[in-house]
Amino acid sequence: MVQVKNLPYLTLRFKFYKKGALQYISHLDLVRTMHKIVVRAGFPLWYTEGFNPKPKLIFGAPLSIGCESDCEFLDVRMVERVNEAEAIAALNRNMTADMQVTEAYYTETKFSDMAYLGYIFRFSLLDGTKALPAIVACLEKDRILIEKMGKSGKDKVMKTVDIKPQIRSAEVYAEGEEICIRAILSADPASFLNPEHLVSVLKSECGILREQNLARESYFILRTDAYTKDLSPFR
Amino acid sequence: MTSLKQLSSILKSVQKPGRYIGGEMHSIVKDKSEVSLRFGLCFPDVYEIGMSNLGSRLLYHTLNSDPGIWCERVYAPAQDMKAQMEKHAIPLTAIESGEDVKEFDILGFSLHYELCYTTVLSMLKLAGIPLLSKDRAEDAPIILGGGPCAYNSEPMADYFDLMNIGEGEELLTDICHLYMQMKKDGSYSRAAFLRRAAAEIEGVYVPSLYEITYKEDGTIAACTPKYPDVPARVKKRIVKDLDKAPYPDKLVMPYIETVHDRITLEIYRGCIRGCRFCQAGMIYRPIREKSPETLCKAAKCLFENTGYEEISLISLSTSDYSRLRELTDLLLEWTDDAHVSLSLPSLRLDSFSEELMQKISSVRTGGLTFAPEAGTQRLRDVINKNVSEEDLLRSVRIAFRGGKSSVKLYFMNGLPTETYEDIEGIAHTAKRVIDANYELPREERPAGLGVTVSVACFVPKPFTAFQWEKQDSFESLIKKQSYLRSCITDRRIKYNYHEAKVSFIEAVLTRGDRRLAPVIAAAVADGAYLDAWDEGFDFDRWMRAFAACGVDPAYYTTRGFGLDEVLPWDVIDCGITKQFLLREREKAYKGETTPACSEHCSGCGASALGGKTRWCK
Repeated sequence: MVQVKNLPYLTLRFKFYKKGALQYISHLDLVRTMHKIVVRAGFPLWYTEGFNPKPKLIFGAPLSIGCESDCEFLDVRMVERVNEAEAIAALNRNMTADMQVTEAYYTETKFSDMAYLGYIFRFSLLDGTKALPAIVACLEKDRILIEKMGKSGKDKVMKTVDIKPQIRSAEVYAEGEEICIRAILSADPASFLNPEHLVSVLKSECGILREQNLARESYFILRTDAYTKDLSPFR
Repeated sequence: MTSLKQLSSILKSVQKPGRYIGGEMHSIVKDKSEVSLRFGLCFPDVYEIGMSNLGSRLLYHTLNSDPGIWCERVYAPAQDMKAQMEKHAIPLTAIESGEDVKEFDILGFSLHYELCYTTVLSMLKLAGIPLLSKDRAEDAPIILGGGPCAYNSEPMADYFDLMNIGEGEELLTDICHLYMQMKKDGSYSRAAFLRRAAAEIEGVYVPSLYEITYKEDGTIAACTPKYPDVPARVKKRIVKDLDKAPYPDKLVMPYIETVHDRITLEIYRGCIRGCRFCQAGMIYRPIREKSPETLCKAAKCLFENTGYEEISLISLSTSDYSRLRELTDLLLEWTDDAHVSLSLPSLRLDSFSEELMQKISSVRTGGLTFAPEAGTQRLRDVINKNVSEEDLLRSVRIAFRGGKSSVKLYFMNGLPTETYEDIEGIAHTAKRVIDANYELPREERPAGLGVTVSVACFVPKPFTAFQWEKQDSFESLIKKQSYLRSCITDRRIKYNYHEAKVSFIEAVLTRGDRRLAPVIAAAVADGAYLDAWDEGFDFDRWMRAFAACGVDPAYYTTRGFGLDEVLPWDVIDCGITKQFLLREREKAYKGETTPACSEHCSGCGASALGGKTRWCK
């Protein structure tokens, strides 16, 4: 097969939400799923060269299992210009209700310009009034240490890391029966903070969410926005 | 019903929670108040295995195309999820509605492998449904089984209300319609329904309507229907014209990766070969092909609705499809431009060509797999594998020249009449494949050559020429496996083999009778679950279960069955006659081969089932 080299391309960026049941789909599975969705949508896709040509999809910051998001980004390379509104409709027809595109625009900015991500954590707890001051105290400490797998040379070892510098801001409040945290966390690849790490600190230090259960205690994480270095909205 | 929100802390703690959420693109959700039958299509293995099963895809599509039926998928939870479900008393639910399967009308289990039996029983337990058919209340779902193991489902006979013998597209529809009709006219009771299904629908086997008697030596005396309107033998049901059979135009799109995450296009049913160890080659006869036009239309439609960039042309032996060239040419008219690649599993050595390889590697490259099955020509003749070493070497030369660097070879240990010379033959054959590479001019050799030898253990199966054979003891199989290891000296040959103890249990169950039912329940009570997985299988647990029930497993394996013995599966008529199988057995011992259906009709009996067949006389 003759492959035309170096076709020019345009990058169409989609902003989408991924909620409900789809919070349980990993980033890797999302990549695979999205790949088939853009093929079904019938876009004039730009394919990579070589033995195994693939459409080029670039995702914004990965979202871990158990997080919902209103603010996911996907860049798709096209060989010709597609109308934005039509592109949104084509994708949404091929996705289920828990994942839908809200915006589409041509862009030249890069995901590396994304410096922070905003999240809302919601906790349904057995004894929320008692937990609230404990959570506040935990977040106000000078150092917030977590244990995580890291590398030491070639070996994998448990490392203690201070995640405090990766928390740009965190505000704790009660809303009805729930305790909420509105937090802005680092999205920089070198110091990316997985929001689940914050939950595990609270689990171990505030005595909450100790066991799996049926709706007695639970938590939900929603990614709400993305920011550049100066905290202006990322686009 | 447990909502996803209630399950959140559990879903966040288990592996691959995407298995349990449903909501996939093209999954079918109906209004339950508008349907008259709720069907649970149960696959006794985890989601990513079940989602890849072609039979389930076909039946999901077929049943849901009836507006009165809502067919939902049900999978076995993985071990970690099962533990959570048991701890928190969460019942087994269907993927689409999330509702308890206990409330359904019919649960249909796919019996694709004997080692899934313990998973079937565990799923019934999780659902809160009594295991034994006779203990189920009037309002409990009808428990139905189908698939290859249904041809001898006797070990599970006490647990199933009804067995589907043959292809499900029409059979299952008929069963559902009878159920709906009897519910509507008020004549439904479990007993009345089962009796009418057995008497009126071809392909229905209701185990409880048969009495099994035994001789003093423990062998079966007879299997007798309890009522005159119940057929003495249950005849397999087939789809007569595959071009007219329903085929899905959409596939449920899994969010998580499944084992065969691609379009599977069934090109024909049956097999013209007649390898004497192979059950599939017999029970799916007669050979019925689909036309290239039908297939190409289905493929294009599926591609547009799924976005899968791989189409797998499947059948028991793809290169035996009589119009393969036409089909691949037709597909290649559009697949290359759409970046879709074709894959052809189950290629035969004697019909593999340069042209075929070009077609399958036109977009992506991969390795190739061939199955000589035995290491010497003598033994290949015994099993009627009708391929020669020259076929193999010719094929691998083509593969190497075409840039394929990895070749996988399938063999079997423990075949009837096998000697240590045959085992040495496996090592020699693999070595000759390596040598074939070095006989090529340097510039034609692929880089990084690797040959994988994968050796299974022979399990005698019902409805094959070897159905009466003794199985090699696992001690002997293990000895043979280590001997083969010592024969393979070349580092470029990778050697894999199947666990002989697994094949031993498989052999017990595949030729088992009703006396094994308590053994399976005992294994389940002892924790057996997902036995088809290495981490789920526990040989000692099975041996404990045999001992506890006073059953000698050797009766079903190393004993061998007498040629005049009543076999547990004699009640099933799969089209293939016993006379044919006996003839084939005799020829095996003489080392005589039988030509393929395309060359000469060997009179297996399957043509009596009818159907639009290409080769049958």
